Amino acid sequence: MRFTPTELTGPELDLQAEVREFLASELPPGTHEPCLGMAADHDRQFSAKMAARGWVGMALPSRWGGSDRTAVQRFIVVEEMLRWGAPVGHHWVADRQTGNVILKFGTDEQRERFLPPICRGELGFSIGMSEPDSGSDLASVSTRAERADDGWVVNGTKIWTSNAHMNDWFICLLRTAPMEDGNKHAGLSQFLIDLRSPGLEISPIPFLDGSHHFNEVTFHDVFVPDINVVGQPGMGWHQNTTEMAYERGGPDRWLSPFSTVEQLLREASGTPMEDAVSDLFGELAARWWGIRNLSLSVARLIDEGEAPSVESALVKEMGTRYEQEVVEKLVQLIDEEYSPESESLFERLLAQCVVTFPGNTIRGGTIEILRSVASKGLQGLPT
Amino acid sequence: MTAAPSNQLAGMTVRTAPEPVVVDELITETADRLFGELCTHEAVQAAEDIGGAPEIWQAFCETGFDLIAVPEEAGGSGGTLAEAIEVLRLVGYHSAPIPAAENGILGGWLLAEAGLERPDGLVTVVPPRASEGGWSGGGTCSVSLNGDGTAVLSGEAHRVPWARSAEAIVCVCECNGTSMVVSVPASECTITPLPNMAGEPRDTVSFDGATGQAAPAPTGVDAGALAQRGALSRVALMAGAIEKMCQLTVSYTNERVQFGRPVARFQAVQQHLVWAAQDAALVRMAAEVAAREATRGDAPFEVAAAKLIANQAAARATKACHQAHGAMGMTQEYPLHHFSRRLWSWRKEYGSDAHWSAVLGEMATGVGADGLYPLITSGTAPWPEPQPARTAVHRGDSRSGNAGRATKRFGRGALGDP
Repeated sequence: MRFTPTELTGPELDLQAEVREFLASELPPGTHEPCLGMAADHDRQFSAKMAARGWVGMALPSRWGGSDRTAVQRFIVVEEMLRWGAPVGHHWVADRQTGNVILKFGTDEQRERFLPPICRGELGFSIGMSEPDSGSDLASVSTRAERADDGWVVNGTKIWTSNAHMNDWFICLLRTAPMEDGNKHAGLSQFLIDLRSPGLEISPIPFLDGSHHFNEVTFHDVFVPDINVVGQPGMGWHQNTTEMAYERGGPDRWLSPFSTVEQLLREASGTPMEDAVSDLFGELAARWWGIRNLSLSVARLIDEGEAPSVESALVKEMGTRYEQEVVEKLVQLIDEEYSPESESLFERLLAQCVVTFPGNTIRGGTIEILRSVASKGLQGLPT
Repeated sequence: MTAAPSNQLAGMTVRTAPEPVVVDELITETADRLFGELCTHEAVQAAEDIGGAPEIWQAFCETGFDLIAVPEEAGGSGGTLAEAIEVLRLVGYHSAPIPAAENGILGGWLLAEAGLERPDGLVTVVPPRASEGGWSGGGTCSVSLNGDGTAVLSGEAHRVPWARSAEAIVCVCECNGTSMVVSVPASECTITPLPNMAGEPRDTVSFDGATGQAAPAPTGVDAGALAQRGALSRVALMAGAIEKMCQLTVSYTNERVQFGRPVARFQAVQQHLVWAAQDAALVRMAAEVAAREATRGDAPFEVAAAKLIANQAAARATKACHQAHGAMGMTQEYPLHHFSRRLWSWRKEYGSDAHWSAVLGEMATGVGADGLYPLITSGTAPWPEPQPARTAVHRGDSRSGNAGRATKRFGRGALGDP
């Protein structure tokens, strides 16, 4: 394991400047309610504007509608969007992972059908991994797809499905053969399922603050055509593990509270600041600088053809815990009794952080699972 | 919308990145091999008992590493600050009990900058003291100048590394509003030995009217600059020490069997391994990025951020590694303490957590809300201005002025060919 320091090149600095100019013009500070990182508002129009710049699916090949850009260039766009609190929710999953999965494992027909609209910012994807009885032990999924004429019939339930009520497509890990003793990773396959398929039922699971984010998705004899199987039937576990590597180690795992901290500084300017508050801004800037350098080096490693799964797991485990620590430090220092409906934007954001950030160390693989992946890597064992 | 879509800009650079800062691999290999051979557990322990390791220092000097990054025209070995920092990282990694930072990038630097003569033998530096509003160079000491250009130092300096073995003691003092570099022979001073928590000499020096040479420090060389350079040196040492401490912990927990399996197989222990590995990676990254920027020019944000990160990481990583080792890590017989005690000491040298948080806090609140993220991505360096695309072929800018590679005479020395 080695995180090699890297820095932005001239063209990468140009891109950073261009993204900053775009955001300053589209979402001038003080005129929009920033989102908290990747748990961002879904705004199809905003996604389309980003896509017009070539910033959605940007690392995909131009042959399929992408911009042939690198992981570092995507990193630059993503970090600026997240720190600004931009509404990137609609294209988020497709841009981060589903596009890559279809490019890597899909057929040309699937690439033609899905990648250009993904790059236009049109398609929103949900992820179908967890089930009522399968969470961290993902290989135990039991929602089944059974062979039918020209396709498959799906029955079972997926749970904690973010934004299924707003999205268009569902990439699902399903069981296509019974679980074998001693090889629970066999018999799993990945499917692309239209969220408006007959027999597919989406029920909200209200988030702890009453907001609608999670869903339960139930399949009642949902027909999925053969052309929507991703890769080889039975290879779903391997494909899914690859997919999760795209989920980890990026700015979405350490920038979620940034817009809150920035807003505190905005609201505090012009009044005398207590030393403890000023010191905290200094400390947070330092730690963001350190984590950002690690995360950027992971993106550079990906561009160099490496598969930095251990490095990504280390960054995600550290970054998500850091996000919670930032919130705790703010809570300790702030005298006001903030509420989700405070007049101050900072207070509203902080209240939202307090209530929703316990999920940051759970989503996309709990930190306990990440520690297991990372420590195997540290010991030189297969992860 | 005035900006062109980014894909139309591809290949047309309007900003230029600074020159890369590259560390010669030979430096890493040579220093690693030298210390690997000499800095055994026993040798490091023995150095603590006698307050020094003359043989290790001698071998170090024969490679030329003792004066790395000191310009050749000033009698140094040449090389860049980034290369000197890489050597210091390996000093930390092997817990080499030698004053590598004091003699070279601190003392050698001050003397060369001020144009003062460097004595044969070890040079050490009085660490500046943080006080309200900045750094004071010589602690409680003060300097007065004689008509013949010699200087007289009075007062007392605390926690001066390896003063007892030094030939000359260098400090930065204010004199009539001017920053002066002063060098006095150690033989003119009264030195009271004192160890830090790792048994490294951090002595008390009474100047008692010691007479030596003095010269005005050039612009940019003052107590604050020395504090930054000293902080960077400690970050490098700490990066090495944390990395080695982690490696020891991974090995130990794979060998130690309890309940029928290596303790590293237990999730509770894995948590310590992962957290320590994160801190090792974080501090090494901080050291390397801060060194890169400091090699190019002033890097007040990066150095301050690196030292604060290193201080905090030292606290977490020593705790995690000790816990994973159990009682064995609490013995003198097992080498963990060479690293953990150094980390606890270095954490307090050249600026505490509170000091650097305050410095960083001023920078962060100074740039304001809109400047906060740019500070994190680019430090205090001016945002690179776009240049007409036709000039983009000329790489480098003013910040890369001293990033060039000087010829070096260090490398193999007494070690022979690798």
